[in-house]
Amino acid sequence: MITNDTGDSISEQKSASPRISSTQELRDRFGVAPVSTESICNPAIYDLEKEKIFRKTWLKVATTWEIPEIGDCKVKDLPVLDTSLVITRGRDGKIRAFHNVCTHRGNKIIPETDTETYVRARANVLTCRFHGWVFSTDGTLKSVPAQDHFGELDTACARLREVACDVWQDFVFINMEPEPSQTLADYLDGLSVVFGGYPYAESTQAYRYSTVLDCNWKVALYAFSEGYHVPTIHAGSLPGFRGADHAEFKVMSPHASSTIFAGGMDTTPATSAFAAVLHGSAAHRPRPDQLPKAINPTGRPDFQFELPTIFPNLIIHLGAGCGYPGLSFFTHQFWPMAHGKTLWEGTNYFRPPATAAEKAAQIHVSALHRNAWLEDTATMEDTFKGLMSGAITEMQLMDQEFLIRHISQNIDKYINA
Amino acid sequence: MDKTSSDAITSRFSDLSPLLEKWAFPAENQRSAVRWGASASEFEEFYSKMMPRLGEFLELLSHNPPNKLPPELHGIYQLVCAFAEAAPHHELYKGSAEVPHSFDPRRFRALHGNDPS
Repeated sequence: MITNDTGDSISEQKSASPRISSTQELRDRFGVAPVSTESICNPAIYDLEKEKIFRKTWLKVATTWEIPEIGDCKVKDLPVLDTSLVITRGRDGKIRAFHNVCTHRGNKIIPETDTETYVRARANVLTCRFHGWVFSTDGTLKSVPAQDHFGELDTACARLREVACDVWQDFVFINMEPEPSQTLADYLDGLSVVFGGYPYAESTQAYRYSTVLDCNWKVALYAFSEGYHVPTIHAGSLPGFRGADHAEFKVMSPHASSTIFAGGMDTTPATSAFAAVLHGSAAHRPRPDQLPKAINPTGRPDFQFELPTIFPNLIIHLGAGCGYPGLSFFTHQFWPMAHGKTLWEGTNYFRPPATAAEKAAQIHVSALHRNAWLEDTATMEDTFKGLMSGAITEMQLMDQEFLIRHISQNIDKYINA
Repeated sequence: MDKTSSDAITSRFSDLSPLLEKWAFPAENQRSAVRWGASASEFEEFYSKMMPRLGEFLELLSHNPPNKLPPELHGIYQLVCAFAEAAPHHELYKGSAEVPHSFDPRRFRALHGNDPS
């Protein structure tokens, strides 16, 4: 049985206050010892992670607004699960997930053009290009060419193979267990206390970036899980960044969260002009009033964004326009492709621009953020090479790197369960 | 916008033709390709001609969504989008086409990169 930090089984977690009251409590509960690099460097542990984490936990694969209309489909290639999934919105409006596999002989129903592929199912059906088997977006096998030439064919059993799928705060999650041991609501129960209620689906204007990194997925995840690096790595793109404070840790195992505060930075003339466009708009101005109550409860004016780790591979930074101008929230996701290969996806979410000036301002903010991400990703392949050299076998973690310690401890719990 | 206003705008921005020719493209991937090949002096020239008029341009672009701009503003909009992406290279990166100490931007994919901004 997998347990949380207090020894309760994860399925028994309830919405108790997740807040850590002090750095001392953080140290007392989770320790201060260096953290082993074994789970990053050992390919055998990656195999265990695939089996015991990625095939057993809920994973975000889409947002509801990516497939807003009946018949909309998103295909997601997921090497870590050895499959490709198709997420559909059926005639009944329900979102479902299926293996992207024809039940005839295994061909992909929807050919992929990228790591993510979007299609509209005409007449609400999906047709395999191999032999023309036709499936409804609810998975039902609708028709089979030359069906009377099959000596035996149970069409009811030849539905698309469905995968557990549910929606939380307009984020679509799947779980590969035939019967998940926890519902999505239970899995994210503690997280909902911190993140529930923000109108995520209003911010449909996305600027999406991705890259394939030659590193273990946790090297990338860890690099984005702490604010300690900001004054150094981002000295170029965030000049004069001052008063950085990574604090207010909250633990809802296997998830955790924290808050990034900052006193400010040297704003350039161009950024000031573009920011003024967004800050002058009712839709894009800072909206601290929309933050869930558990985030920045004292109303510190230097709040930038909330930084959680949603186990195992998702980060949703919620800023409500308080950090980067106009930016409602941004996400990182880290998809293992192999032990030493990771697909990183970073997306900036804004409310839709009403004018061309607002769109240009969003492009500026997104470019600044993309540039910061270029600075972040610059470290990852070197870090992985360094760790794989065996020169060090432990990571020395300071208090602001707590999320790394917490993820590492939860990975150990899952693979040893 | 009536024809008189349209002609006035075209006349007002006639000096931008060289900038339009070099920098104005509808999609992020096209603009990135231009930016990666730009020199420090080109960034400086772009900045020095755009920044003093940025407020004026943004005001002109504040009356319509991007897909409903009058045709005479299409070029200005693309130029402002290019400036939005290029300004940090002059203001922060000393005219470097690359973000210093960064990952190779050509390995970064903008999933929206081929869509018109």
